[in-house]
Amino acid sequence: MIQVLVVEDEAHLAEGLRFNLEAEGYRVQVAETGEAAQSMLRESREFDVVVLDVMLPGKSGFDVMSEMRKAGQFIPTLMLTARGHPDDVLKGFAAGADDYLTKPFELPILIARIGSLLRRREWLRSDAVNQVSSSPPQEAAESLTFADKAVNFELLELKVREQVFPLTLMEANLLRYLIQHEGKAVSRKAMLEQVWGVHEDTDTRPIDNFIVRLRRYIEDDPTHPRHLVTVRGIGYRFVASPK
Amino acid sequence: MVVPGRRKSIAFFITLGAVLIAVIVLLYIGNVLLNWRTGVLLFLGILLLAMIIAGVVLNTIFLVREIRRNEQHDAFINAVTHELKTPVTSIRLYLQTLQTREVDERKRQEFYRIMLEDSDRLMSTIEQVLRTGRLGAVSRELNPSRIDLHAVVEESLSKARAIHHLEKESIRYQSHSPVTILGDPDEVQAAVSNLIDNAIKYSGHTVNVAVETATEGKFVTLRVQDQGFGIPKMELKQIFKRFYRVSGPNATRVKGTGLGLYIVRSVAKRHRGRVWAESEGPGRGSTFVLQLPLAP
Repeated sequence: MIQVLVVEDEAHLAEGLRFNLEAEGYRVQVAETGEAAQSMLRESREFDVVVLDVMLPGKSGFDVMSEMRKAGQFIPTLMLTARGHPDDVLKGFAAGADDYLTKPFELPILIARIGSLLRRREWLRSDAVNQVSSSPPQEAAESLTFADKAVNFELLELKVREQVFPLTLMEANLLRYLIQHEGKAVSRKAMLEQVWGVHEDTDTRPIDNFIVRLRRYIEDDPTHPRHLVTVRGIGYRFVASPK
Repeated sequence: MVVPGRRKSIAFFITLGAVLIAVIVLLYIGNVLLNWRTGVLLFLGILLLAMIIAGVVLNTIFLVREIRRNEQHDAFINAVTHELKTPVTSIRLYLQTLQTREVDERKRQEFYRIMLEDSDRLMSTIEQVLRTGRLGAVSRELNPSRIDLHAVVEESLSKARAIHHLEKESIRYQSHSPVTILGDPDEVQAAVSNLIDNAIKYSGHTVNVAVETATEGKFVTLRVQDQGFGIPKMELKQIFKRFYRVSGPNATRVKGTGLGLYIVRSVAKRHRGRVWAESEGPGRGSTFVLQLPLAP
C-alpha cells in the first residue's frame, strides 16, 4: 500500500489531508514537526511520498527539505505553504522539492499532483527494471479494451466511446487486476493484497469507494452496474461483455 | 522571524562604524597633542568633531532601529498571511471534501465543527488587525460606560475554555469584591481576552492558569498567572510593542500576530490604567497585571 507522510502542524489541515488521502487508498501518517518527520523518515523506508508544510514550529520546511536531500532521502516531496511569493517557490525547489503548491489549494489538484509524483516514481522504477533485464516491456498489457471502452495503463486514461477519463494510479491498478480476473468473483481481501500489497486485516471499505468511482466511469448506469457486479458476501466480479 | 545572515552583516557594519569613529578620535587626540598651542581654533575643532561624531552615532542608532522595525514588519506580514490563509485553506479543504466524497453523518458533523472553529479563528485574526488600526487612530474618543469587570472576565474565560478545549480546573478564577470600572466594554473585553489567551497559548501542553481580581485603592488589578515558557528579563517591556514576538525555542512555536499585548497596552492607556509583565525568566512562567481605575 502506498504510504504518504504528511508534515503539517495545523491539526485541522492534517486531519483533512489524512481523510482525503486515505479515501484515495493511501496509508497516511502525520508528523507535527520537521524534527518528528525526519526521525520517521530515518526509521522507516516505507514512505512513497511526502507532503511538507513550510511554516512549521522549530525547523522550517525548507530546512527539513534540504537536510532530507543531503541525507540521501530522495522521496518525492510536495511542499505545501501559505507563502506564494516567487522567491519562496524558488527557495522550495532549490531546497530539493519536486513540486510546490500554495495554500489555499484546490483539493483535486493536490490529489492529482501527488498522483503524478507517484506515477513518475513508478515509471522510473519500471525503466530501471527494463534496463537491467533488457526484457520486453512489462508482462502486463499496456492497454486493454472491453465492450466500447479502452484503458490505457501507460497514460492512465480510460476512453469510453468519445469521452476520456483520467485515472489515478490506484484506480488503474485496481481496474487492471479486475480485468485480469475477468468473470471470476474477486474478494476484497484479495484486492487489498494484490493491488495495495496489504496483508493485514485492515478496513476494506476504501475498496468500495474505488469501485463506486470506477463504476461512474465505465457503467452507463452506475446504480445498475453491468461490468462491475457485486458478489454478495465476497466482493466483486468484472464482466467484459455483459449480455 | 530573525534572519541570521542579515543580523551578521548589520553587526559587521556597526562594528566598522564604531572602529572608524574610534580611529578618528585617536587621530584627533594625537593631532591636538602635537599642536596644543593654537587655542581658539583647537576648541572650535573639538566642538565640530564632537558634533560630527554625535551625528554619526545618531544616524547609526536610527538606522538600526529602522532595520529592526522593518524586520518586525516582515515577520508580522508573514504571521498575518499564515493566520489568515491557514483557516481559509482548512475550510476550503473540508468544503471540497464534502462536495466530492461520500462522507458519513458522524464525519460530516465533525467537519462542520472544524469549519466553524476555523471561521472563528479567522474572525479573531481579522478583529485583532482591525482593532489595532482603530486604536492607532488617536482621534477616536473613548466612550465610557459602567462595566462589571467580573462579568467580562467570566465571559472571556468561558470563551477561552471553549476555544482551547480546556477543563475548568485548568484556569482558576478568584475575585475578592465586586468591581465596576468606567470604560469601553468592547475594548476592555478585548484586553482581558488577549491576556487570558496568551496565558493559555504560552503555557505549552499543561495549562495551569490562575486569574485574580482585587481592588487596591482607587484601582482594580487583574492578575493572569501562568506556569508556562516565561519571558527573559530583557524582553519584559518590549513585548508590549507592536509586532514584537518573544524569543526562545518554545515561545517562537506559538502562532500569533504580535498585536495582542500592543492592544492590551493601548486599551490600558486609553482607560488611564497600565499593564506590565513579571517573570522569573525562561521556563518559570509569567504574570501579567492589568491595572484600571475603579468607577467613582
